[in-house]
Amino acid sequence: MATNIAAQRIKREFKEVIKSEEVAQCSIKVELVNDSCVELKGEIAGPPDTPYEGGNFVLEIKIPETYPFNPPKVRFTTKIWHPNISSVTGAICLDILKDQWAAAMTLRTVLLSLQALLSAAEPDDPQDAVVAKQYKEHPEMFRQTAKHWTSAYAGGPCKMPELDEKIRRLTDMGVDEHNARVALSSYDWDLERATEQIFS
Amino acid sequence: MGFDVARFQGPVDEELVCPICSGVLQDPVQAPACEHAFCKTCINEWISRQPTCPLDRTPITSAQLLPAPRILRNLLSRLRIKCDNFVHGCQQDVKLDTLMAHLEECEFNPKRPVPCEQGCSLIIPKDEMKNHNCVRELRNLVQSQHQKMTEIRRELNEQQFQLNEQKREINLLKDFMRAMRVSNPIMRDIADQMERDEIARWSITLPRARVTRWGGMISTPDESLQTLIKRTLSEYHCPTHVINELMENCHERKWPAGLNSLETRQNSRRQYENYVCKRVPGKQAVVVLHCDNRHMPEDMIAEPGLVMIFAHGIE
Repeated sequence: MATNIAAQRIKREFKEVIKSEEVAQCSIKVELVNDSCVELKGEIAGPPDTPYEGGNFVLEIKIPETYPFNPPKVRFTTKIWHPNISSVTGAICLDILKDQWAAAMTLRTVLLSLQALLSAAEPDDPQDAVVAKQYKEHPEMFRQTAKHWTSAYAGGPCKMPELDEKIRRLTDMGVDEHNARVALSSYDWDLERATEQIFS
Repeated sequence: MGFDVARFQGPVDEELVCPICSGVLQDPVQAPACEHAFCKTCINEWISRQPTCPLDRTPITSAQLLPAPRILRNLLSRLRIKCDNFVHGCQQDVKLDTLMAHLEECEFNPKRPVPCEQGCSLIIPKDEMKNHNCVRELRNLVQSQHQKMTEIRRELNEQQFQLNEQKREINLLKDFMRAMRVSNPIMRDIADQMERDEIARWSITLPRARVTRWGGMISTPDESLQTLIKRTLSEYHCPTHVINELMENCHERKWPAGLNSLETRQNSRRQYENYVCKRVPGKQAVVVLHCDNRHMPEDMIAEPGLVMIFAHGIE
């Protein structure tokens, strides 16, 4: 029976998202994967006045058989620099995707909550400790890094030549571009320490 | 789980949709404080995981759920829904409150039970009729019954075995008690008293009987009739130590002098009405216990009592 509810719900929620005004404003989007109601692809636009503005973030949404009694499993497939999202796996730390889930929540409310999470991080309940530390100790550095990641992975508009240059210095040494970006981001763009970490 | 919205004519109002399954409410119930409505099965499933309202997190328990208000139920019952067997060709749109009744008799229900007309008369779902083979079905039936019989036989053997064990143990105990009784006079008195008390207690449990036709007495009941009466006495908890003696006393050859022949019975007739008779439940028979009839003359009563079987006339 549970499977039936899950399928019935997803079909309806899918329509709900498509008809919603957020879709009309291009701020959220959802697609079925393989035409099944088990896996979906979501997309949210980075909210204005945040380092994520102008980026489009893709989400992997897996619907458990026991949906809606259990929350959907959601993670970012687009790399993102955010205290509550793992920069490695895209795993999300958000209460409504865990113990604060309620059966009346829908794909639409989940996507909107994630968008709100991008606007308002919770550094005291972090998923990525490195990012959270930077967020609290060097907020400006965090903003720059997040903006840079948005531009690099989510199609964000802001090019940052200074940071790109540091990455190029490492890639010239044969380091993979993503690894270089991770190392630099983690060490507050200190080229020396990042290099040390990569080659240690 | 609610009904798929697509089965209804036209749009369904949001208020009639369960927020959990997103179907049209089935068996709607509402939360006590916030009054949000859900399908009964959906909300119970949710509460079993988290005891809060899924819409606003007010704490709730299954026991607190109330039936949805009449107006909501009326609105629901007015909706017209396509029959479950739509895909099998049923064209009917029925009112939601008559859906169950319709499904029971819907011609298009592929699972509707129908009797086989090829000879075996088994009741089978309609959609299985095409591949139905009387011989095969009956053989399966025979096989399963055969299996059941084997199981029952095995169980019977086991029971019989246990019964024999218990019988042996009971006999051992009886022998032991007999020995105690013989060897110790105090024991004997206690045992006799216990037996007498037991009869008296049993007598109280039996209803009083009134014999309206003493002429219907069967003075020489045959074996099968005796077995029948004995069985009933046993079923109604006749003390085991007297049942055999009582049954011995159901035939005129064992009756006391005042009753043992047609002639003496003729003479004793007037005294019959003085007997205190107890009914053998459901049977045309009475027990005349010695303990109830101490007022009767010696030649009209015997220890531990008499059983009188009648052709008719017991009330």
